[in-house]
Amino acid sequence: MDPVLIKLALGGLVVLGCIGIFFGIGLGLAANKFAVKINPKVEEVLEALAGAQ
Amino acid sequence: MKDLRRYYFFACMLLIWGMLLAGCATEHRFINKVKFKGTNSIIVTFAGPVEDGWAKNISNYAAYEKPDPDIRLKIARVSLSPDKRTVTLTFEDELNQQQAHILSVKDIISEGKSQGTAFLTVKKLYFGYLFSILIGAMIIGNFVFTKYLGLCVFFGTSQKKTTAIGMGITFTIVIVFASMMSWFLYQFVLKPFRLDFLQIVVFIGLVSLSVQAVDTILRKVNPALFKAFGVYLVLVIANCIVIAVPLLLADNEYNAWESLMLAIGAGLGFLIALFLMSCVRERLEISNVPHTYRGLPIAFIVAGLFALAFMGFSGMVIF
Repeated sequence: MDPVLIKLALGGLVVLGCIGIFFGIGLGLAANKFAVKINPKVEEVLEALAGAQ
Repeated sequence: MKDLRRYYFFACMLLIWGMLLAGCATEHRFINKVKFKGTNSIIVTFAGPVEDGWAKNISNYAAYEKPDPDIRLKIARVSLSPDKRTVTLTFEDELNQQQAHILSVKDIISEGKSQGTAFLTVKKLYFGYLFSILIGAMIIGNFVFTKYLGLCVFFGTSQKKTTAIGMGITFTIVIVFASMMSWFLYQFVLKPFRLDFLQIVVFIGLVSLSVQAVDTILRKVNPALFKAFGVYLVLVIANCIVIAVPLLLADNEYNAWESLMLAIGAGLGFLIALFLMSCVRERLEISNVPHTYRGLPIAFIVAGLFALAFMGFSGMVIF
């Protein structure tokens, strides 16, 4: 295969991987910083209630 | 953990700064101003005096309309002002000033030194041009009524006025965010690495990323608004306008401000379309529609009538 194409493909993999890692870390940090605490008891109580509707 | 967060913040700041610089940068350091004059000439103002022999040589200039680089416009004559800073190029034919023109000036020579080659974009009244992009995307080329994009979300959320407005506003925020990011990635990552054939994959990723980011941040910062948006925030991903805008601005090679205007125009256009449609559908609820037409069929007919009405704007030119 043409080495130029291989170079392009590998470069593409690296670049897209970097973009992915960058935004992944960003979203992870955002999720960490803006985490909303949900009281686990809310779900337990909802489970225990009849709540057919 | 804390260090990582700080580095990440700095990286983001750097990105935003680079983006702003790229948006406002002048095109060549030795050229102060280029603009149209009259119907068939372009004026170039240089930062310093240029050499007589160089400036009067017609073969140093080449001009074409931005969409057709193959069709060179014929230059009739070149004249230099007495202070040697201003060159007036007169063309044989009238210029179509609605179109952006590219003017290349070869090997500028000033006081014996070469200043390099400049590629200049000539546009008529820049703010007017931006405004015409905005109005063009919003009304004249409304994405819903003239390009028939985003129809499933359009019919799904236009039953009530309140949901229509909520969806429109959410959509505008997300589309501005997503298309600015995809403009930046396209110009500074995909194009330099010659990966522009991957634009669809990257843009889809960016759209879902920005929806996720807005979702996460809004959930904490403004729970009331988050509750009001509800399911619509996730529905934005399913809207094809949000992927059409980045593809359009990559195709047209828009710069940062033009992309911003296109994104805002597309968002507001969708808001207008949703609002108009929801008004009609609320009225239809209490009217006597034949049984077979109730629900979606009559909504499609109304949308078709709106599209006909919006055809009245087609071909309109602002500025």
